This record gives sequence, structure tokens and C-alpha cells, in this order.
Amino acid sequence: MVAVLQVLVVVAASPLVIGLMRTVRARLEGRVGAGVLQPWRDLRKLWGKEPLRAEGTTWVSVAGPITLLASSLVVAALTPLLGTAGLAGLPGDLFVVVSVLLLGTVALALVGLDAGTAFGGMGSSRHMTIAALVEPTVLLSVYALSIPAGTSVLSGIVRARLDDPVSVLSPVSLLALLALTIAVVAETGRLPVDNPATHLELTMVHEAMVLETSGRDLAWLELGSWMRLSVLLGLLSTLVVPWGIATEVSVTTLALAVVALLAKLTVIAGLLATIEVTLAKLRLFRIPELLAGSFALAFLAVTASYLVVQA
Amino acid sequence: MTAVEWGLAGQLALAGLGVLAALAAPARARVGLTGVLSALVGVAGAVTGIVVLSGGQGRLSLSTSLPLDPMTLEPTALGGFFMLVAGAVGVVAAVYSIGYVHGAAAARPVLAAFPAFLAAMQLVPAAGDLLSFLAAWELMAVASTVLVLAEHASRAEVRRAGLWYAGMTHLSFVLILLGLALLAAHQGGTSWAELATADPDSATAAAAYLLLVVGFATKAGLVPFHVWLPRAHPAAPSHVSAAMSSAMVTMGVYGLLLVVVRLLPGGPTWFGVVLVALGAVSAVYGILQASAASDLKVLLGYSTTENTGLMVLAAGIGLLLREHGAPGAGDAALLACLLLVASHAAFKTALFLGAGAVLSASGQRDLDRMGGLGMRMPVTAVTFGVGALGAAALPVTVGFVAEWTLLQSLIHGARPGDRLIAVVMPVAVAVVALTAGLALLTFVKAAGITFLARPRSEGAATAREAPRPMQVALVLAAAVVVGLGLLPGQLATWAHAAVEAPSAVSDTTAIRLARIDAVLVPLAVATALGLAVALVAALASTAARQAPRRAVDLAWGCGGVRSSARMQYTATSYAEPLVRVFDQALRPQRDVEISHRDESRYLVEQVHFRQSLHDLVEARVYDPLLGFVMRVGAVGRRIQNGSIHRYLGYSFAALVLVLVVVSW
Amino acid sequence: MSPSVFAQLVGLCAAVLLLSSVLIVWRRSLSAQVRLLAVQGWAIAGLVIVLGLEERSVELVVVGLLVLVLKGLVLPRVLRRALPQDAAPEREETPLINTTAALIATALLTMLAYLVSAPLRGLDDAPAVAAVPVGIAMALIGFLILATRTHAVSQLIGFLMLDNGIATVAFLTASGVPFVVELGVSLDILLVVLILQVLTGRIRTQFGALDLSELTELRD
Repeated sequence: MVAVLQVLVVVAASPLVIGLMRTVRARLEGRVGAGVLQPWRDLRKLWGKEPLRAEGTTWVSVAGPITLLASSLVVAALTPLLGTAGLAGLPGDLFVVVSVLLLGTVALALVGLDAGTAFGGMGSSRHMTIAALVEPTVLLSVYALSIPAGTSVLSGIVRARLDDPVSVLSPVSLLALLALTIAVVAETGRLPVDNPATHLELTMVHEAMVLETSGRDLAWLELGSWMRLSVLLGLLSTLVVPWGIATEVSVTTLALAVVALLAKLTVIAGLLATIEVTLAKLRLFRIPELLAGSFALAFLAVTASYLVVQA
Repeated sequence: MTAVEWGLAGQLALAGLGVLAALAAPARARVGLTGVLSALVGVAGAVTGIVVLSGGQGRLSLSTSLPLDPMTLEPTALGGFFMLVAGAVGVVAAVYSIGYVHGAAAARPVLAAFPAFLAAMQLVPAAGDLLSFLAAWELMAVASTVLVLAEHASRAEVRRAGLWYAGMTHLSFVLILLGLALLAAHQGGTSWAELATADPDSATAAAAYLLLVVGFATKAGLVPFHVWLPRAHPAAPSHVSAAMSSAMVTMGVYGLLLVVVRLLPGGPTWFGVVLVALGAVSAVYGILQASAASDLKVLLGYSTTENTGLMVLAAGIGLLLREHGAPGAGDAALLACLLLVASHAAFKTALFLGAGAVLSASGQRDLDRMGGLGMRMPVTAVTFGVGALGAAALPVTVGFVAEWTLLQSLIHGARPGDRLIAVVMPVAVAVVALTAGLALLTFVKAAGITFLARPRSEGAATAREAPRPMQVALVLAAAVVVGLGLLPGQLATWAHAAVEAPSAVSDTTAIRLARIDAVLVPLAVATALGLAVALVAALASTAARQAPRRAVDLAWGCGGVRSSARMQYTATSYAEPLVRVFDQALRPQRDVEISHRDESRYLVEQVHFRQSLHDLVEARVYDPLLGFVMRVGAVGRRIQNGSIHRYLGYSFAALVLVLVVVSW
Repeated sequence: MSPSVFAQLVGLCAAVLLLSSVLIVWRRSLSAQVRLLAVQGWAIAGLVIVLGLEERSVELVVVGLLVLVLKGLVLPRVLRRALPQDAAPEREETPLINTTAALIATALLTMLAYLVSAPLRGLDDAPAVAAVPVGIAMALIGFLILATRTHAVSQLIGFLMLDNGIATVAFLTASGVPFVVELGVSLDILLVVLILQVLTGRIRTQFGALDLSELTELRD
């Protein structure tokens, strides 16, 4: 019930989040921008267009986008965004969430390889390199968060946060959240790791992989990626500011939770867009340094969680 | 006779028949008959393993003519688990061999070695005492050496690989022999039960432990004893590499578990620390080399080092946690170790067999020359893909289940008060997380470059799907990867029994780590994923009615130019960013030659790029060592000048020396 | 101040200290490193002031303010003046070992710091003592920077971080050294930094660069 609502809210909101980020960026750069609703219009347009299938591509080009979107849907259902009451028999276990997310990552990388163009392979290679370095950080940092909470179930971690909101200021959580933020930025292809607005060949990562897809395939890929961004941003903001999330299921608490989630997303997306304006894209070979840094932070967080927080 | 005894005797009899068939059957029926009999050996082994795991007992004594105790086969639950794994791998590999074996691999001795090899792998875990263990171990070593050398006549590198393999595998045998002999001499008995009475804290136990660890680590392909692995796997025929990598290598892990769980239980803390260190180094080193490798079988070989590393890491963590006040998490870690064994067996079989199919279809082993095989070999592509998903530990495969269990044990093993645990755990988590990330890239590369995109060579462009028996074996292996991934409950129950953990309530669909309160229901994850896919696919088909897919003959590629297939990313370029990141660990040798046009320095005629990766451990440890041995050998040759008088003189001197010593 | 708020504040300061140390290793840009060093100075000052408020000791608060002025304002300013303003390539650091390796080393050093300070924490359960490993880690990381960086200004930064670490440990274990000693040490540090600043200027005019890997003939 909560899960279905979460999926609906995320599907509806994630294009708006992207629209908002683009608008904020445009305004800060002195442009008018296309408006918050533009991503939705793009999706509608792509939905109606015929997809092209180049000779030599396999079923992967068709199945990949669907898999990516499906994985994003499942992740949206499993992550505690609106309520801490998870699905029965399917707890929002951190490792399950991460691996479902990775399933989408792999699907996207394979789509990039399928057409056999130079750019597709390039994007796919870079994407997987980044993913390979991001995954350890994500696992480590949420692991660090899970040790004080005593569970790897995300909703359990969020509930522990609700009980003790000041714990966000502990060294463990500061280090882990910073690491996680970098990981999220890298995983969702935002600046300074990847420039989502670029179509300059040599700097593309995400865009290079989706070059060959068109029509509804592209729509699935875009919506799937946007949903990932929204879910991960939502998770981050929930970990920092847990209030508003529904601990029990009723109409009022859920309505409140939806409002709270939208507010958190608006703030964090606006913040991210504002920061992005001030950043330039990193050189590709500087990215590992960034990710190694976040890995080190996450590692420190785990160390600290073992050694500082004595039970 | 009990069912177990029937099973043990049946294996021996079937293996004998298999060897006989390989040697004596008429040429036309030889391959098929041996394959079927080998598969039956595997079936017998797997069934015996299952009976043992469900509580069956039995004991088979073979008297020897030596003045020693009879050799006994008496599998325990732990052995039963490994028998099951080895048997299951054997079945699939044997079925595959029916369609695969040809040429040099169909020669009589090579063919005869295969059923003997399978039986030996099932006898190692069944052995109930030192003698039978060593005998089975040696049979396994010799038979596998014969199999590795199958194609020695046509390929020079096979001879080198065979030399390395024979050397390392016998080094391992000697060390194990020494270790066990040390224990046996101290305890005065040869059965496991008698050996287990040794005091694990004594100096003898410590020495024996070190010898045994190095011996078994060599078999398990752990760094720095892994050098034979990436050589032997490409050299051996693919069904043999599959059986070696999936089952034989894990016998090293069985040996380690045998030592720490049965022979020297409750040993000092450093026993566990040694295992964790070995495992962690192997896991990271193995996957790093695998991610950079561009030979498909070398890649898989290094990935085996990674996987055994993870198994040993899990075993070490299990030991440490059991002793440091977290028995629940410790049991979970040991359970994870066995699940890793089973999952590795399943997906590595699928991967090696798939690699074999690709090899024989395209004649290429170099990933840089493959591509586009997915269209031509759909069955191989899908089954290899499933294996790759398993190796990358993604849902819903058995690899994911195993990795989940390992991570759960690490999380719940957190003991903030304990200094050792506080150091070991973060490192272990970091290692597991890093290997998981790199494995993802490695297997996307392996599957994507091989099966997607356009063919990069003539061989890849003309490849054909594998023959039927090979397809059956491939589908079988892939089905096990997914099947165990969906319904891991029974496997987990068996694994619980094998590590003698208090049995948790694992039903067929779920893994419940009761004592640390963690549940995984893969079927629920699969259902959720399936629902989501169905939803999107339904939407897609609605849209397809308005706007059907249109085929175009040209990919866009930023300009729609008909680019050459050589402009695609290759495996080397795919891994290039990663290799750069780990430059200091991998130290690749790169040569870039740029030749300019005559008219101007600014116009480039050609760019030659060559990159070669050498195993750093080999270059830094083994090459100097071998060089030293060679020099000693050269000195030694001086006393051997061929003169008969001198040799007689040596003998005479030796005789006199012995007499002097005796009379002392 | 309630005990839990005190513990939180000490934890926060410790987290900022650790974070800024890691970030200094991470960033290549020298000006960013100097900025981070200033943040570290504020965090130490904050730590000292919190300790002073907890123990109701005016002297500690005054020392804290002194630290704030010295480590948070004066030293960073001096350092910034030592930075080459014009030569663009010199604003970045090329460390002897790559950043990734340095970061992993940082993580391991932090672990080491926690290990060696474990006996200390066995003596006392106070939150202040729980933050001691952070101080030791800073000292170790400072040493790491000294050993692996080539730029003269980075050397200074490493040196200052070493000092920051020692100061942190001193404040946390002994609730501060006597006022006079602290004053003396601070002045010493200031003097050293000033001398080094002059020295860097001389090195630059002499060699045209601040790369210390040129200084290989450091024997008689």
C-alpha cells in the first residue's frame, strides 16, 4: 500500500524534480528555461514516437530500457520515502536495494554496448568504471549507518534516526552522509562527475550510452534514470531530516508524508542545482580521486562506528 | 549396506567402467559412452552427498596391502556438501563433454582421465582418514594434470602451463602430506577422529596448520600461490576447466574447512586472521587482474581466485566471530562460505562452458576479437549472461544469495568492544564491497564485449551455435544458477547441516539467519521485479500499437557514418579507465608508437598501441625464485659429468657414509 | 550544559577535525588546503571552548579564543600570502604518491590511531577521551603529508596539521596545558611559520619553483 503510493509519487515527481533542477540552473545562468513541466512533455513526445532499431542490435536494446525502469520502480517501492512500514516479506534490505539498483546500472551499460558504436562503448565503459568505484562507497557508508542502528533494513535505520534526530551530527553519520552524497551524485551522473546537459562527445557518460535509443525506449531510460535520482535524493534527505515520514499507515500521516517528501525533494534538488552551477565537470581521470575520497570517508565512517560509538 | 555405502561403491564402480569405456570402447562410441558414464559418476556423487547431508551414514573400508590401517571412506555432512557440489558440476561437465570433446581431447588416456578425475574429486571429501584423503588427492592431481596437458602436441603454451600446473599441484600435495604427517606422527593415528585430538595451541599444531594452509591455498588458487590458475584454465579443454575451477579448486577450501572445523577446532585467533588476510588479498588481487584481462579464460581464471578468496575470507570471519562472542554471525559467515562454494560452482560452470562454446565456435579466446555472438549463439549468450549475473552477485541468482549472507554476517558481527574485530570487520566489508564493484565491471565487460555489438574478427562473424549436448549442459548450469537463486532454502539447510550450525528454520523459498534476525526471500524480490517488468512491457506494447519499431540499417553513432567494426570499444579499451585507476597495483606495460606522415610531423599516419599485463606476483616472487633454482641446478650439474667411474665413486661414498652413520 | 549536548558537541568538533584532515589529503588545490586548515583551526578552537564551558574554566575559554585567532585566522592568512599568486601551475600539488593511495593510507592511519588509543579510552569513558584518536590521527596524517608532498606550502600545511593533532590530544587528555605553555607553543609555531614563509620566498627566487623534490642534496 505504502509501496504503491511511493512508486506513484516518485513516478509523478521525478520528472518534476529534473524540471525544477533545470529551471533553477537556467535562472541562475540568466536564462528563462523550459519550465518545470518540460521533462513530462518530453516523455509524452517520446512515448508517441517510433523507436528505431539499428541493424545488428539484439533484444538487449529492447529489454535493457525496460529492465532499467523496472529496477527503478522496485527501488522506489523498497526505499522508505513515505513510510517505514515496508512490504510484507520484502523488507527494504539495504543490500537488496543496492543490488536491484545495480541491475539497472548493468542494463544501461549493456544497452550502451549493444549498437557497437564507438560512443556507446565509451559511455558504457566509463559508466561501469564509475559504478564499480561507487558501489563500495554506497555499501560501506550505509553499512556505517546501519551499525549504530543494528540493522541493514533501511526503514530500521530511518526509524532509529527518528528516535534520535541529533545523531545526525555524530562523526559516523557526518562522514557516511558526505560519502553517500558523493556516491549519489556520481551514480546519478550529476556534476562534477558527468554533465547531464552535455552532448559534447568526449565528455559524455550517460548521454553516450543512450545515443542509440529513441522513442519509448529512450523514454524508459530517461524516466528510469530520473527516478533513481529522485529516490536517492529522497533517501538522503530522509536520512538527514527524518521528520514527516509516516510510521503508521493512515490517510493523514501519508498525506503529510507526501507533502514532506515533496518539500524535502524540492529543497535538496534546488540546492544541488545551485551547487552544480558553480562546478565544472571533472576530468575523467580525476573522478576516481573523487570516488576514492568518498570511499576513504565511508571507510573512516565504518571505522569510527566501530571504535567511537561504544555500546 | 547403507545408502551411503552403496553410493560410494557405485561411484568407484562407475568410474572404473568409465575408464574402461574410454580405453576399450570402439572409437565411434567412445566419447559418448565415457561422457554418459562420467555423468553417472557425478549423479552418484551428488546423490550420496544429499543422503549424507540428510543424515545418512556409511563407511567403506578398502584394505591395502601396506602394513597400515585400511583406507576408509566415511563422509561427514561437510564432506557431503562438497560431494554434492563436485557431483553436480561433474554431471554438467560430462554432458557437455559429449558434444565438445574432439581432436586431441578425445585421445584414450585423456578421455580415461576424466571419469577418474570426477571420481577423485568426490572421494576427497568422502575420505575418512589421512591415507584415503591423500590417495584421492593425488589421483585428483594426476588426472587433472593429464587433462590439462590434453592439447600439448598442438599448442606450445599448453606444455608450459602443464609444467606450472604439475609443479604447483605437487608442491601443494607435498605440503599437505607434510602437514598431515606432522599431526599424525604427533597423535599416533591416521583417521580424522584421531588427528582431531591434537591440542590446537601446541607448536606442532601451529606448524602443521601453516603447512596445510599453504598446501590447500595453492590448490584453491589463493594469492600468492595462484600462478597456475590463469595458465592452466586456458590450456585445458573447457569442460575440464569448468570442473577444475568449479569443483577442484574448492577442494582447497574444503581442505581449509576440514582443518579449522574438524582437525584443529578452537585454534588460536591467528588461525582465523591468516585466513582472512589470505582471502582478502586474493579477492582484491584476483578481481583486479580479471577486470584487466582480455583473454576470456584468463579472466575467468582470475575471477576464480577472487571467489575462492571470498570463500576463505568468509571462513576466516566465521572462525573469528565464533570465538569472539558472536556465534550467530559466525555461523552465518561459515554458511556464507558454503553458499559461496555452491554458487561459484554453479555460475563458474556456466561461464566456463559458455566460454568453451564461444571458443570452439569462433576460434577466438581474445575478447578483443569477439563481438556480436549474441545473434549467432543465442543459447550460449543467455546462459553465459545468467552466469555473469551470478558472478556479479546480482539478483535473482545464487551468487546474490551468497553475497547477501556474507554481508549480513559482517553487519551483525559488529562487536564494538573487541579490538581485533574492530579492525578486521571494516577491512572485510571494504574488500567485499570493492570486489563486488569490480566484479560488476568485469562481467559486464566479459558478457557485453563477447555477445553484443558487431563482430571484431572473421571468426566471430562466422560463429555457429554450439551442438545440442553442449546446449543442454549450458541450460542446466544456468538453470541451477537461477533456480538456487530463487529457492535457496534447501541449499541453506544443507549448508547449515554441513557447518554444524544450529539448524535455522529455512523453508524452501527463504533464507532465515535465525540467530541474527535476517531474512531474505528471493522469490519476493523476483516477483517485484517481474511485476515491474510486466507493467513496463505492457505499457510498451500499448505504445507499440501506435508507433511500431522501425528497422534502420545504420546506427546513429553521432553522425550515422558507416564506421568500421574496429572503431568499437574493445575489452582492453573497456577496462582502460579502471586500469588507469589501479595503475600502481597492476603496472601494465604500454607501448605507443606513432608514425608520422612524411609531409609533416603534425599528420599522423599510424598509431600502434600495445598493452601487456604481467602478473606482478609472478614477476616479483616466482621469477627470482625460479632463477635462483635454475642457478643452483646449473651448479649441481657440475658434479654430473657423465663418467661412469665418478657415479660409481658417488655410490661408494654414499655407502660408506651410511655405514659410518649407522655405526655411530 | 547537559552531558549529552556536551558529548554531541565534542563529537561534532571531532568529526569536523577528521573530515578536514581527510579533505586536505584529498584536495590538490593549495588554496583549498589552506581554507580547510582554517576550518580545522576553528574546530580546534570550538573544541577548546566547549571544553572550557563544560569545566567552567575561564582560562580554557581564553585559550580557545587565542587558538581561534592564531590557527583560524593568522596562520591561514600567512600561508595564503606564501602561496604563489601568479604562476598557475604552482597552485596545484603533484604529490609523490597518488591521491587514491594517500586516501587509503589515511584511512589505515586513522585505524591505527584508534588502535593505539584504545588503552587510553579504557581508562576513562568521558566523551572527551573518546575523541583522542582523532587527534592522533591528525598528527599521523600531518606526518603523511609532510612525507609525501613536494610543495613547500604543503609541507607547511602538514606541519601545522601535525601541531593541530598534538594540540587536540593535549586539550582532550589533560584538559589543556597550562596557559603559559600554550602561549609559548603558539608563539613558537607562529615564528616557525613566519620563518618558513620567508624561506619559501627565498626558495622560489632561488629555484623558480617551490618543488622540494629538487632539494636532494641534503647532506654535508
